[in-house]
Amino acid sequence: MSQTPPRRWLRLSGPALIAGGLGVLALLVVSAGRGDQSDAAAWMALIVAILVLAVAWRAGQLAQDATQAPQVPARPPHENAPPYVSIINALPDPVLVIAAHEPDDLTGRRFVVVNQAARDLLRIQHDAGLLVTAIRDPQVLEAVDEALFGGLDSQAVYEPGGAQARVLKAFAKPLGQAPDGSRLALLVLRDETDIRRAEQTRADFLANASHELRTPLASLSGFIETLRGHARTDEGAREKFLTIMQTQAERMARLIDDLLSLSRIELNEHIAPQGETDLTLAVMDVVDALGPLARERGVTLAPCLPPRGEVVVAGDRDQIVQVVQNLVDNALKYSPKGGAVTIVLQSALTADAAAAPLRPQAARLSLLTPDHGHDLYAALRVSDSGVGLKREHLPRLTERFYRVEGQKSGERSGTGLGLAIVKHIMNRHRGGLAVESVEGEGTTFSAYFPLSAAALAMPEPPIEDVVTKPS
Amino acid sequence: MNEHIVKSYEDELNTLTAECARMGGLTEAQVGDSIEAVVKRDQALAEAIVGRDERLDVLEADIERKAIRLIALRQPMANDLRKTVAAMKIAMNLERCGDLAKNIAKRTLVLTEAEPMSPLTRSIERMGKLVLGRLKDVLDAYTGSDLDRALAVWSRDDEVDEHYNSLFRELLTYMMGDPRTITACAHMLFVAKNLERIGDHATNIAEIIHYEITGAETIGSARPKTDDLLRDA
Repeated sequence: MSQTPPRRWLRLSGPALIAGGLGVLALLVVSAGRGDQSDAAAWMALIVAILVLAVAWRAGQLAQDATQAPQVPARPPHENAPPYVSIINALPDPVLVIAAHEPDDLTGRRFVVVNQAARDLLRIQHDAGLLVTAIRDPQVLEAVDEALFGGLDSQAVYEPGGAQARVLKAFAKPLGQAPDGSRLALLVLRDETDIRRAEQTRADFLANASHELRTPLASLSGFIETLRGHARTDEGAREKFLTIMQTQAERMARLIDDLLSLSRIELNEHIAPQGETDLTLAVMDVVDALGPLARERGVTLAPCLPPRGEVVVAGDRDQIVQVVQNLVDNALKYSPKGGAVTIVLQSALTADAAAAPLRPQAARLSLLTPDHGHDLYAALRVSDSGVGLKREHLPRLTERFYRVEGQKSGERSGTGLGLAIVKHIMNRHRGGLAVESVEGEGTTFSAYFPLSAAALAMPEPPIEDVVTKPS
Repeated sequence: MNEHIVKSYEDELNTLTAECARMGGLTEAQVGDSIEAVVKRDQALAEAIVGRDERLDVLEADIERKAIRLIALRQPMANDLRKTVAAMKIAMNLERCGDLAKNIAKRTLVLTEAEPMSPLTRSIERMGKLVLGRLKDVLDAYTGSDLDRALAVWSRDDEVDEHYNSLFRELLTYMMGDPRTITACAHMLFVAKNLERIGDHATNIAEIIHYEITGAETIGSARPKTDDLLRDA
């Protein structure tokens, strides 16, 4: 309000100056007509007249700007916004509104409305921006173009990539013209990862099950045939065969368990787990559970853990226990009698530090690298004292049913799915997995979990029980 | 009064980045499709990839023309100049990636005539996904001007190499075991090599992004961390 007087002055000054300038000009013309003045004076007067006119025009402009200024909306984008904006923002599916002027103008295709789900999926920071910086997929861009310039509903499959592969269906619909003449289109992305995964998992399960179960099944039916045939009366052979059959049947049962558990994990891999888990407690449970087995094999378990309550990660407790169990179980299998399995837990590491090499001469490989987004991780490192792995085996370790040639994992042979399960669980937890190995010294697996949000917010959690001796 | 001119200059710069991003999207699709074609032995898809390669060539030429025009007419300085040059270089790298994808597609056409080798295709698929992920990451880093993301891609180059070496040995074992598979395995070897090259191009793009954002020419031979320390000192 206090600014109104100068504006009024400016508004009035424009016409006044124009009138003045015209007056001077008229005077000039009159005096020139008389012809009793020198040329120089006439020119001076002309220049003055032009200057006055110029100032008058500028003043007029300023006045116009001043009057228009209050009409420019200075409010922040979401305040005073119509209620539908908050509705769009709350929708669970990513929604974008795209505006464009001309088909061949690339910078013209901009997103002008994005909801929260779209921001999260496409990592959009701003309220509006170039469409290609958010989505590059040529099929989706074509679908948008069709909606914008062809006026047709259009669909495309969009796979944004990343560690947790997702599949979305993109629906583009024309929204007609905006008041400023640009064309508008709506782009809705619907997550169809569940459906795709279910199909994929079923196919994988069938393929794996039929392939891997055939061998033990064939041997079982062979023994049954023998037992019904000429071994019917042989007491010693019967006992021997039945033992083998039992081992095979147990192996089949383990295989089915592992396959089912892998399928379950894969189905939920794109959904981050809820809840929090104390990693120290999880490791202690596993160490207790595997203690008898370790004694049986003559291998010592050497855990080195921080106190309880200090390392809390975001995650599903059962699955985390499964990770620890599989890694420790593996290390036990490949450690010689009299060897040791060390389990080290470190907290508050960056992703780089968690995956960093421990021994300079070791062959190492990251089996799973998390997408960026978390700052700090807790790393679980399990080392065996076995013969180590050759470099060329490392990339294939998490492959299903992959076996390193020449390495016998003992009588209690695994299913070949243990590390695959670990990798998928780590991926679901947005964590990472790295392996490093020195031939003749042993292998270390490092699994790192993102620290829970609560643990990050609270740098020093209250430690109720001071005395927590690991195992 | 100069607003209009500056705005169109800004627009031209943005168009370059946008076209590079669009070209990146096309390249990603080409590489992804070529991996799918190899894995699923999809002849029709392979042929489609070969046909689509021309679009990448056209886009690259277009970006180059626009960049040269912008340099000639606007004489960009500092940041703007780096942006322009980076767009040109990235387009060049992407075009090479497209060529390599086309080559994979061509080899797929031969591979579909041979017997399927499922364990090998699984290894190829895994390596392909890794390479595709790197390409995606580096393009995300480009569109988001995210130096950390670019450096992460740059420092993880050895992963692809490890996969390549492992696949190389696997292929040798196959060829020694059954000489009839040599033709198919040789083609597979080139497919793996092409993927490895695409990974190298992703690393190159990471270096270009580093140049665009910081102005420092090379990241250096050491790991990025040590290099950062050296530069700060």
